[in-house]
Amino acid sequence: MNLLQHPDTLDRIAASYALGSLRGGARRRFEAMARVQAPVRAAALVWQTRLSAMTEIQEQAAPDPAVWTRILNLVQADGEVLKMQAARLPTTVAPAVGGGVGSGVQSGWLRSLALWRTVAMAGVVATTLALVTGASMRGQLGSQIAALRTQLEQTSKIAYVAVLADDKAAASVLVTFDPQNGKLVLQRVGGFREAGDKSLQLWALPPAGGPQSLGVLGQDRVMRINAAEGDVRQIPMLAISLEPKGGVPGAGGPTGPVLFKGPLVHNAL
Amino acid sequence: MRFMADNRSMEFQESDARLMALLDLVAGRDEAAFKTLYDQCSSKLYGLAMRVVGNREWAEDVLQEAFLNIWRAAQDYRAHLSPPMAWMGLIVRSRALDFLRRRNAERAHVTQELDEVLEATLEGDSPNPMDTTLASQQAWALHQCLTRLEMQQREVVSLAYLRDLSHSELAQQLRLPLGTVKTWIRRGLEQLRACMARFA
Repeated sequence: MNLLQHPDTLDRIAASYALGSLRGGARRRFEAMARVQAPVRAAALVWQTRLSAMTEIQEQAAPDPAVWTRILNLVQADGEVLKMQAARLPTTVAPAVGGGVGSGVQSGWLRSLALWRTVAMAGVVATTLALVTGASMRGQLGSQIAALRTQLEQTSKIAYVAVLADDKAAASVLVTFDPQNGKLVLQRVGGFREAGDKSLQLWALPPAGGPQSLGVLGQDRVMRINAAEGDVRQIPMLAISLEPKGGVPGAGGPTGPVLFKGPLVHNAL
Repeated sequence: MRFMADNRSMEFQESDARLMALLDLVAGRDEAAFKTLYDQCSSKLYGLAMRVVGNREWAEDVLQEAFLNIWRAAQDYRAHLSPPMAWMGLIVRSRALDFLRRRNAERAHVTQELDEVLEATLEGDSPNPMDTTLASQQAWALHQCLTRLEMQQREVVSLAYLRDLSHSELAQQLRLPLGTVKTWIRRGLEQLRACMARFA
């Protein structure tokens, strides 16, 4: 039958198709017709749209408050996994931060740093695993968890960490703060290299007031900047801008574009 | 019936605009906006998840997965033509159907567990209340037409759609003769078509 000559039948079958009660051979024949005849396709779309509103009119019910906590944990872990995937890219890693970690665990170390915040929310490790899709990745991560725990014990003196990333969430600089030695340690993890006549400058972005310079980066993969804990304690965010060679002259704020930024996380371990 | 009062139309636009603004912020990874969105929509979406999976605990798992989805996909919403609540409802329904498929695959041999929704349905006369809070204008039309159906017809039509069930699966779940289910669906859908045509 040519459905186009029977609009009422077309409408009935389209409704039944969208509801899902049209099954088997009848469904496949209707789909085949819809592919070649625009009016058939349109009728199906109209009914799919109409019935999709069914999801909007169901009676409300209050979920347990614990559900939100679980969602928030997952969402925060999700952010760390994204950063971790970004930080995974470089294959060579500079010497371990702060001298607190043995050289044998460096490749895991980089990923672990990105995971810190997750791990700080005790018990969320399993959640993170569940999030990472793909069996190979899961296996890889699973074996890292024990090493990660050990590293965290060894490195608990590092109290703050930030992953500074560009606007595509690709990590570029890893910042850690070691309060015992009064050092900010900056580690380049991305492929970015500034031109010879430019420098990268690190800024603290306090909750109120303008950016405060923390120092200018050299060309080395790892560098240490003297800093007191008071310099970073209340700072929610760090940023890196592109400046003239040697950094912004004088005490003003950044003059060039902000290339990388990220939240400074207090590692509560 | 054909035209809605102006103030209702305004309400739809306001709630849609508010939800769209929140989704926009969520697309920018704004956790506070995400919390607000959850506070506004979770009861609605949890109610939907309950209807599909029929069990509180499972519905919580579905809600959790759906909101994680919303968090990750919020930036894609702009490319959708659906009203915001319909988009989120679609995500919840998809995750709920996934959940049921996984569960059926895992425990095909186990007899069906208590379904809180169907228990209520089978008990009888009190109609499953519908709710148009935060619903779009299109949902209001469907709501109007569904309320005109007999309770049982409305119920089988709703469940057929929400749970993606065939006639025989419905008959099995509702413990009704197959012929009865077929008749109710056919009549329900006929009435729905006649009514929806007036909103076209």
